Amino acid sequence: MLCRIDQGIRLVDVNLWKGLRIMVFFAHYSFKTIVMATENTIITNDNDDGIDRAGFIKCMAWAGTGILWMMNGGVLKSYGMSQLIDKTTGQLKQHVMVPPADFSFVQISDSHIGFNKAANTDVLGTLRAAISKINTMPSKPSFVLHTGDLTHLAQAEEFDLLEQSLKSVQTEKIFYVPGEHDVLNNNSKEFLGRYGKETKGDGWYSFDFKGVHFIGLVNVLNTSEGGLGFLGNEQLSWLQKDLEPLSASTPVVVFAHIPLWAVYPQWGWATRDSEQALSLLKRFGSVTVLNGHIHQTMQKTEGNITFHTAASTAFPQPAPGAAPAPGPMKVPAERLRAVLGLTNIEYREHQHTLAVTDAPLSESNTQ
Amino acid sequence: MACMAIIMTGSMAAIEPKSIASREFKNLSVLPKNISAGELSKIMIDEFEDGLGVSCSFCHAENKETHRPDYASDQKPEKEIARAMMRMTIGVNKKYFNLRRPLIGEPSLAVTCETCHHGVPNPGQQVGQ
Repeated sequence: MLCRIDQGIRLVDVNLWKGLRIMVFFAHYSFKTIVMATENTIITNDNDDGIDRAGFIKCMAWAGTGILWMMNGGVLKSYGMSQLIDKTTGQLKQHVMVPPADFSFVQISDSHIGFNKAANTDVLGTLRAAISKINTMPSKPSFVLHTGDLTHLAQAEEFDLLEQSLKSVQTEKIFYVPGEHDVLNNNSKEFLGRYGKETKGDGWYSFDFKGVHFIGLVNVLNTSEGGLGFLGNEQLSWLQKDLEPLSASTPVVVFAHIPLWAVYPQWGWATRDSEQALSLLKRFGSVTVLNGHIHQTMQKTEGNITFHTAASTAFPQPAPGAAPAPGPMKVPAERLRAVLGLTNIEYREHQHTLAVTDAPLSESNTQ
Repeated sequence: MACMAIIMTGSMAAIEPKSIASREFKNLSVLPKNISAGELSKIMIDEFEDGLGVSCSFCHAENKETHRPDYASDQKPEKEIARAMMRMTIGVNKKYFNLRRPLIGEPSLAVTCETCHHGVPNPGQQVGQ
């Protein structure tokens, strides 16, 4: 198969497997070409906007392992990746050409160390499998973002287990934001004691890396009615000041546990005061928001802001509205790892952009 | 999703207290006052969050000033219902399954929240119903 995509590329987000996402940023926004050649089929995309409906459906027919995300002009495009992965080695096929990047990083989420119910009785094993995936990537990621719910019950021994496992990740640094499971006891004392030393307030912070501004937000301490996330005025004020000195052309990546967009507020899958944060980000040309919490991959683009939610390394949850309530979802054991690794989206024809729809990960799993 | 802590206790022991409680919880009336933070969290997550598919705010009122859950507050009626449900669960296990000291959160229970709730707040609220 030959899949040729010509884009002015700024970001490539490859969701390889099991909640593992590599995001590749390009500091130079010059015209680049990526050629992805696999076996027997030809998928072409002649639309300069990235992908059309027919092309996407073709891609989805062979999707299953992950999706290649490409951002152009603040709009995210996605391309199925399943046949780019060699199933025998779990790595990108040798003849697949990944565009050169200034740096890359990986997002993992919702490891829930300590969870031991039927949905996954070996969350440490699946985390280690995700780590192995990171370590077999073509290029070592500059750092890893963990978007929360490191542990299931915020116990010290659970944090210890996670840290021991993550020591084997071949990367320079790991950044964390807490999930609501990480702050169950003592208002995040255990979490902040380990990861909050260089943070502000209740654990929020920012850093710059090769021209990209990263912001870690905490929206799980004040979870309000319906389980919605909440940022609070103090954090919003800090965010405003943090963004003030940045030029509008600075790429911004925001990461927090609970989605900052309304994935499904009925299940608490939204943040009550996220609009205030998003309004501060509107002046920037490229904003990417990374979240976890819902244990499935979704994406949505609103103007210059692209939202992603990551799959869990521990267990899946039902798609929004597909069950009476959220919670760990048991799937046949032989499907568990594939379900955790699936990126699940649907295409909605809307000015050549992709939109998120409510669909369970398991339905589109073909592995 | 996740709930944090605090409801219940009382005269009826719901889980074996640890010798050293990690902190003092307020307004427990079904669960032991000296329950460990880990055990209390496990009950909140396993029994209520996963068993009923709810988050903390289902039972716990929000402090309007801090916007954080007020775990000690009895403002929401759901909290007292949860206490009653725990008492009922303990009673059912004791009366009909001959468990001498049924404890909420213990794997030895014959009947748990999940037995009837199946992950939803209202047991009648199942898929397709």
